[in-house]
Amino acid sequence: MRSETGAADGDIVRAVLAGDHERYALLVERYRDRYARYAARMLGSPDAAEDAVQDAFVRAYDQLAQCKDPDKFVGWFFLILRNRCFAERRRSRTETSLEAADEVAATDRTEGGTETAERRRALQLALLELTPDQREVFVLKHVEGLSYGEIAERLSTSVPSLKMRMHRAYDKLREQLRDHT
Amino acid sequence: MSEHAFHPLVKQLLDGDITLADLPAELRAEGEEAVRLLAGVDRRPVELPAVSRRVMREIASRPARSAWRRVMQPREIRLRVRPWLLAPALAIAAALILWIGHAAPVTQASFVTVRFVLVAPEAREVSLAGTFNQWDAHATPLVRTSPNGVWTATLTLPAGQHQYAFVVDGARWVPDPGAPAVDDGFGRRNSVLTL
Repeated sequence: MRSETGAADGDIVRAVLAGDHERYALLVERYRDRYARYAARMLGSPDAAEDAVQDAFVRAYDQLAQCKDPDKFVGWFFLILRNRCFAERRRSRTETSLEAADEVAATDRTEGGTETAERRRALQLALLELTPDQREVFVLKHVEGLSYGEIAERLSTSVPSLKMRMHRAYDKLREQLRDHT
Repeated sequence: MSEHAFHPLVKQLLDGDITLADLPAELRAEGEEAVRLLAGVDRRPVELPAVSRRVMREIASRPARSAWRRVMQPREIRLRVRPWLLAPALAIAAALILWIGHAAPVTQASFVTVRFVLVAPEAREVSLAGTFNQWDAHATPLVRTSPNGVWTATLTLPAGQHQYAFVVDGARWVPDPGAPAVDDGFGRRNSVLTL
């Protein structure tokens, strides 16, 4: 028998739909930090990521009855978070860039290694100049460590189209980082 | 090719398909530039401990607002019951959900009293099965309250979302076509009630 915290996603989703709202906290705990880094790199700031992850969980709760396969809650949730991140970047494309990169740099200074800090800052700024599609494939592959095949499955697309997107991203990043590398 | 474009072999290096040593000598400098680019990738974990509390607080305020929407906008729903399952002919049924709670502020309510009404003149018995009674088709019978075939049941349910269906004559499961519905995984549709 599974412990409460080890319950399957599908069982928790069904319990929440039946009225046991408190158990939704188990799903939030389980996936909160796993997707925080994706959101932070997509949006360029941990604060923006916090808002996005929170909104995505609340939206997922509101639409939980539309989760067709409760056992695949996490894939469904990821798409909600992804939409939220894409919408956020459309809204505030230019406002957060410098602030975001400064935030990355400030964190780095406290951990030492100014050269690493500068590289991270430059790359984060350059990433924010990509289209959301390009940025996402870069984040999923190089930050999250997923293979092209895994990304294709998650985004319901093909490996060749992902590679094309990524290779354009490489060229754009090279242009942005010309003075830093 | 743009002046900023990496050589296709360097892109393979960036993709992790080959190593720096696999590049021809003339591409070595470009390969090192690509490696420096990837050195800026920030893989440190991000933790958002405050999110759990904020999400659950937001959710806690949800059911009351949904209840108000129900109260202010009662709906009448027509159901068509297939004649070969409910003789002799087509029955028209309507479900009207009424909120009849007392004057306590809705925002403080954790339970909501609802009355289910089904008009089914030809039915011999009607019951309600849902997530609130473990889908027991016999647990919550409706009572015939008028000669016109009005069946009712009043339940006090926890605020939140419930799935349900009417069970006519112990055999025919009838969803509420006017309410949001979800697939139950077995080819039937369940109505969704948000209180």
